[in-house]
Parts: sequence; C-alpha cells; structure tokens
Amino acid sequence: MKLAIWSYQAPAHVGVSMCASSINGVHTVLRAPKGDGYATIMLAMFERLGVLPPLTINALTEGTLAGAPADLPRVLREIDARVKPKAILVTRSATAAVLQEPLDGEFGTMTPGELGAEVIFGASHPVRDNETTAFALTLRQLVAHVAADCARTETPSVNILGPALLGFHDHSNVRALRALFAAIGVDVNAVVPLGATVDDLRTLGRAWLNVSLVHERTAPLVAYLRERYGTPSVDALPYGEAGTTRFLREVCATLELPADRIAAAARESQLGWYARTVDAHALSTKRVAVFGTPTTAAGIARVLHDELDMRVEWVGTYVREYGDWLSARVADVTGRILVTDDYREVAQAIDETRPDIVFGSQMERHAASAHGIPCAVISPPAHILNFPLSYAPFVAYEGANYLADVVNRTQVLGLEHHLIETFGPRGQGRFAEQAPEGLDEPAVAAAEGAPQWDPSAERLVGRIPFFVRKKARANIEKYAREQRLAVIDERVVLAAREHVGG
Amino acid sequence: MFDTAIETLERDDFCSLAPIGWLHHKMQDAFFLVVGTQSCQGFLQTALGVMVFAKPRFATAVLDEDDLSGRDALTALLPLARTVVAEHAPRAIFLGSTCTPEILKMNVSGCAPAIERETGVRVYPARMDGFDASYTQGEDHVLQAMLARTPAGGETPNLVVLGCLSAIEEAEIRLECAAMEIPEPRFIPAESALDLAPVGPRTVIAPVNPYLFDATAWAKRERKATILSAPFPYGPDGSRAFYEALGAAFGRSVSYAERERAAWASLEGELTALRGRTIAFASDAMVELPLARTLRAAGARVPYVGTPNVYRKFHAPETALLEGVEIAERPDRFATFAKLTEHAPDVVVANLNIANALEGMGFAVKWSTELTFQPIHGFSGAQSLFAMFAATLRRHDALAGHRAKAGSETHPISMDFFLESHR
Repeated sequence: MKLAIWSYQAPAHVGVSMCASSINGVHTVLRAPKGDGYATIMLAMFERLGVLPPLTINALTEGTLAGAPADLPRVLREIDARVKPKAILVTRSATAAVLQEPLDGEFGTMTPGELGAEVIFGASHPVRDNETTAFALTLRQLVAHVAADCARTETPSVNILGPALLGFHDHSNVRALRALFAAIGVDVNAVVPLGATVDDLRTLGRAWLNVSLVHERTAPLVAYLRERYGTPSVDALPYGEAGTTRFLREVCATLELPADRIAAAARESQLGWYARTVDAHALSTKRVAVFGTPTTAAGIARVLHDELDMRVEWVGTYVREYGDWLSARVADVTGRILVTDDYREVAQAIDETRPDIVFGSQMERHAASAHGIPCAVISPPAHILNFPLSYAPFVAYEGANYLADVVNRTQVLGLEHHLIETFGPRGQGRFAEQAPEGLDEPAVAAAEGAPQWDPSAERLVGRIPFFVRKKARANIEKYAREQRLAVIDERVVLAAREHVGG
Repeated sequence: MFDTAIETLERDDFCSLAPIGWLHHKMQDAFFLVVGTQSCQGFLQTALGVMVFAKPRFATAVLDEDDLSGRDALTALLPLARTVVAEHAPRAIFLGSTCTPEILKMNVSGCAPAIERETGVRVYPARMDGFDASYTQGEDHVLQAMLARTPAGGETPNLVVLGCLSAIEEAEIRLECAAMEIPEPRFIPAESALDLAPVGPRTVIAPVNPYLFDATAWAKRERKATILSAPFPYGPDGSRAFYEALGAAFGRSVSYAERERAAWASLEGELTALRGRTIAFASDAMVELPLARTLRAAGARVPYVGTPNVYRKFHAPETALLEGVEIAERPDRFATFAKLTEHAPDVVVANLNIANALEGMGFAVKWSTELTFQPIHGFSGAQSLFAMFAATLRRHDALAGHRAKAGSETHPISMDFFLESHR
C-alpha cells in the first residue's frame, strides 16, 4: 500500500472513458462499483454535458460478492436498444479487474448479430495503466479495430490527433488548428477522437499527414498509422508565434507545398510584437518554472524562453513515460528537468527556487499560492475555470495571443504596483482569501439602541459559512429590531432563521 | 419494488466515501484513512480535494500488486497509519474499507485494534463500500463504528441525537429539549471524534437523518437502546412530529401544533411558489422520502419518488404519509428517465450525474447534493429548505420568460452539440 493524498492522473478507466466518450457513436460500458462512475460527473460538470454521458456503469453489487455474474448481455441489450450506439467499448475499473470475471464469456452467450452495435473489449489494463497510457492505448485500439484500406485524398489533408472531452482547452485548440490549416489551404481529413464518427476512424488513412495536439495521447496511434498507411507525422509543436511558424514550415515541407502562405497566416499573431513592447521588457528578468503534461510543458516552456526571453528555471512533467521526450525538447531551455508524479516534490522545487511565475496545473497553483507566487494554469489536472465557454486556444497563432494574455495576467504592472505600495494592499487579494477575516470582525459599531449580541449567539453565527455570514447577521439584526429585542441570543438566531431564512 | 429495473445497471449515485466531505468537516480532530484503489483516491480528490487541499484530513492507502496477491493487511497498513499520526496528529482515525478489500476478503476492520494499540490513537473501522448502500450510508457506517465505542448506558435515561448536524441545527434541538424539560441531548457525531455519549437500555436514540438504518439497528440489537420512530425533522410538519415523539419518549405530552402553524405561516412566500407545482425525485441520497412528505405538506404535488433503499419499518413513519406517491426502490438510470418523462414534473431533484442531462431535456433541476450538506433540519431550517425549491422554479421560469420575450430560440441539446469543435 502507498499513501496517496493527491494524484496528477486519474485511474486508467477515466482515460478510457475520456477517449471513447469523445467519439460520436461509441458508448462505454464500465464494469465497476457504482462509485467509480465519477467520470460521468466530470463529463457532466466540466464539459457541461447537457446529455447523458455515453458511459454506463455495469455495477458490482452485493450479489457479485456472492458470485452473481455481471449480467453483461442484459446491460448491452438495454444500451443497444436505448442509445443505439455504433460501437460499445467494454472495460473495467481496477476493483472489477480483481474479480477476473469472464466478461467475454458472458458476451459469447449472445446470438451473433443480435446487437446493432459492435462490441469491443478494451485493451488497457485497469491497474498497470494510468489515465494517459490507457487513453493512448484505447485510441489506437479503436482505430485499429475499424481501420480500412483507403486512398489518399486528392488534395493535401491532415488528421488532427489527440483532442478529447475533458482535455485542456481542446475545443478551442481544435478550432485554432482548423483555422491555421484553412489559412494555408490544407484540408482537415479528421479530428480524432473529439467529435469523430466511427466512419472517420475507418478512413484516417486518407490523410497525407498526421499532426498531434497531445503527443503523449497519440504516440501509439501515430506509430500505427505510419505502419499501416505510411502516413508521416509532424514533430514540431504549434505553440507560440515562432513555434507555429516552425510547425507550418514542417507541414509544408512534408506536403511539398510552397511555404509562401505562412507569412499571411502569421499576421494573426501579436506575440512577437507584444514581446518588443516596453510593457514586456521586464519579462527578461522574470524567473519561471513550467510543469504539466509533456506536450504543454514542452510547448509553453519553449515560448517563454524563445519568444518572451524569460528565465526558465526548470521544466517538468508528471507523465513519467514521456520524461525523456520532454527533456530532449527543452534541453537548451533549462538545465533542470523534473520528472515526478509526486506533487510534494514539485511543491518543494517551487519552494526552493521561488520563481516569479509558475506555469503549472491546478496543483502548482495551490503550491505557488502558499508563497504568494502567481501561477498560470497551463495543464490538466484543472479546475472547472479551465473549461472556458469562450474561445481560448493555447495553440497556433491565436493561441500565441492567448498565451501572451495569460502571461500578462500574472503581472502586477508598474503603475499598479506603485498604487498598491502607496495605498496598501487592502482589496487586492482574492475575495475568498480575505473574506473570512473581514467578515469575522465584530458587528459594525452598535448604533444607539441596536440589539446586543449574546456570546452564545455570536458562537452560533461564527459557525455559519463565511460567505453567507454577513447576510445572515444582517437578517438576524433586522429581525431582532422588528421584534424590538434588545439582546440577540441563540433563540433569536433560530427564530430569525425560521422567519426570514439565512 | 421496481421490477423493471436492472440490478447491475447504472444507478447514478455517488461513492459511499462522499460523506467524508461533511464528516471530516464536523469532526476536526479526525483523520479518514481509506483503504482502496487509485480510483477511491481519485474520487476523494475530485469530490473533496479542491476545496480543502490546504490541509487534507483524508488520504487513501492505495492497494498495490502485493496487497492484491494476499499480503497481510496489517503489515501494509501500520506504517501508513504511523505516517498519518506523525504528520497530522489526529485524535482519531477512521479506517474506511472500500469495495476492493471486500472483494479480496481483506480484514481491514480486524487491523483497527492493533493500529490503535501501536499508535495510541483511537481507530474506528467503518465499511464504506458502495455495492448496494446509498452514498449517504457511508455516514451510517461511520456512526455505527462510533456507537460501538460508546460507554455503556447507566440507570439515568439519556438522549442521543444521531446524525451529522451543523451547530445551528444542534442548537434548535438543544433548546427544544430544554423547553420540554427532557434530558439534555448529546450528539453523535460531536465536534470531537472522541466525544461519545453513553448508550444503553435507558437511552433514547433519535436519528435525524433518514439513512441511519444500520447504526440504529446496531444500537437496538447490541445495546437495547430505544430508537425514536417518527418522521424526520424536515419541514414544519416533520419537526412537529419529531419533537412531539421526542417528548413522548420521555413521558412528556407536548403539542407543537401551534408552532407548526406559525412556521407554515412564515413560509407563505415560498409556499406560494410551490403550491400546485409538481416535484419528482430521482433516486439519490435516501433523503427523498421525508423531503417528498414535507413538500406535499407544503402543497406541492409529488407523483414519483425514486430512492436507493427503503427500510420498511425504519421508514414506516414517512411512507405512511406518502400515500398515492409512486415510490421506486433502486431504479436504474433508464427506469428513472422513463418515470420522469411520464410524470413531466416542474422540478426534478437529481444527482449531479444526470442533473445537466435533465436540464438539457428541458426539466428544471434542483441538484440534490445540496440537500445533504445544507442546514435544513428543524423549524429553523425550513425556510432554507423550501427556498431552494422555490428558487429553482423561479429561476427556470424567469429564464424561459426572458428568452421568450427576446424571441430567442432555445437550441436543441444533443451529443453532436458538445462534440462540435467549433462551439
């Protein structure tokens, strides 16, 4: 056993669900205790999914402990009839894997052709794989399962691989990449898995080139497509203005297209100009640390170093399998690479180096805030705030602009700093951090004849969550005044709640 | 009770570890050590971690390959418990056993005495798996473990109020007991995990949460305690019945009729919003029965209530007041959707799993989780309780009204919409 408080990655079955749920027409059946269904809640809440997530738990029950079968055929029939998916992916969580139930045996008792959907048993391992490796294996498996021979498209085209539901700014990233390819006259053959249909998976071989948005999710698929169809892939990452230009050069070179369209497309970016503006001059003195998924860490560290001339203290990732890949990408950016999935090591590195800005996941935001260091979230695991409704890409020329805004937001600008020094920091902090203190102060100086708070009542009100406490206090005092009560005790607090709420 | 439901199909529920959220908040000197998989850890982190990360008082002992192949549980657990004690200095550890140890027949609770002996810290073993239990029953099993460590009751009659309450909810019960001149209540859980009232044959246990079947059954069986059988103290009607039964249990004949009438009168604003509207419950947290009962008393129509488990005798005071309501026990997801479509309620009370999906279908949804952690017990909580439902209706109607006035069309919600990358 190992003591775990916080992990960067979700268990394997969440990676499987993220991948499969992103494909239109694929439904996942997860053999698991019902509690493992929180992947459903993540889909429902983070993605604000206003439909039933295409993920159903085939629940372990007390009956299972007594030897009852999974009843998989009945569950499959129910989903086939009600959801009508093209394919059903059957997988298990770690708990179910311990049981070693013969799910394929149960499926074998069904009449061939009985279901409208094709049934696929997931290849990832519920215990050994993590969120990332399970995602990558599932993506490769689903494509390999349906891939058909096909001819190349007549004009140059690409597949965009890796974006998914619950991915980091993936909806915006896909939109930005689509715009980028449109600008240089290259068609997008398919986006996989986000929004792909099963037919799209069948015809990935039509594309001339594969580009990956999230390297660690797509490496097995890219290798498969290269082997099966001989499709080349792009190595450069489309982060930053210069980075995106480098990416497009590689795309054009591979597709044997003239590179003269790039310059027009690049006019979309203001990052290069922003870096030259006087406001940004101070960035050269800023020491930064970058930690996240291999792709985001590599892409963004390069931009901060190459295009904004910031001092990169260290770069790291928690996806250990891609530590070397990351290291090779940023060897000239920093002398220190941190590969660990223990958040305490990362927090310690932040504590030791005290960078001016941290670029990391939600976890680093916590760690950095302990030292008052600003943190831009550039990687999952993320908060619901990192699932924006608006267009907020991190890749391509539009993404370069957005990244410049992100950097900008971490800055306390010169004049602002001066004002804070002059007038004090009150009101500068985030509300949530200051509110408890502020609201804990004794009631506003008692006006003549105002009701007095009895200590027992004070204690009771002290237990009300701080964010509603002020309103509750006001309601109680108003009630006491109306009732012409001189003293507020516990009874008055309760009576006030009863009559005016709060 | 619901014969079309499939036992092994999705029931849209949380994991039984969820009550750690409110229990660790209540008992500030306790640490929750969960024995389970990476998935248990992921759940705790996703559900509770963000808010309380600064100083978590829960962690998962994640099982590895050695544990799966039969390593002695105590050998593996003891060093972890020592780390918890060294780093967090809790006064009590709740040792939660989850699904995987149950499957492995790993004796987690058997480790508790040895860990307690070795660390000098009280250890309560609690079964927190989620095979058939509702997620709220995690609290049931934690409280059962605490009851098992209560001192034996003496000759003097005493009152134990069972169930996790906020200080403000406790205060009302304390004051009402004083007014009725019955013994001063002790609460389990109290603010310290070590604060345990005696429980014996002269003890009256008053459960305030409708999911405390196992804990009360244990106290009745093992300690011969009297379990108060009354509607739960939700809403003016339930509060009146609860306090009158509480008085009667100590030989007091008290009437809360006038109190109830006054309470309803002060709720007039909310009641106006609720009267004649239809509210249905998707199965969720086992608080559905008493809430349905008080909403009906408030004048709403409640045609359908899904709920994870109904204990015939324990819930009899509630089901007796729900005549004409279709109660479905353990409905699966599709059964729930079929019933909601059939009844077309004005408000659906549902878990986060399906709340947005139901909104997408056009229902007004009250997300149910709030009902388990907001202080809505008693007369003093009734305003908050009904306001939540009234607010849901008001908001739904207001948004629809504004859109209609603007001539703005509501676009249809489908999976394609969410997968469309240009959204």
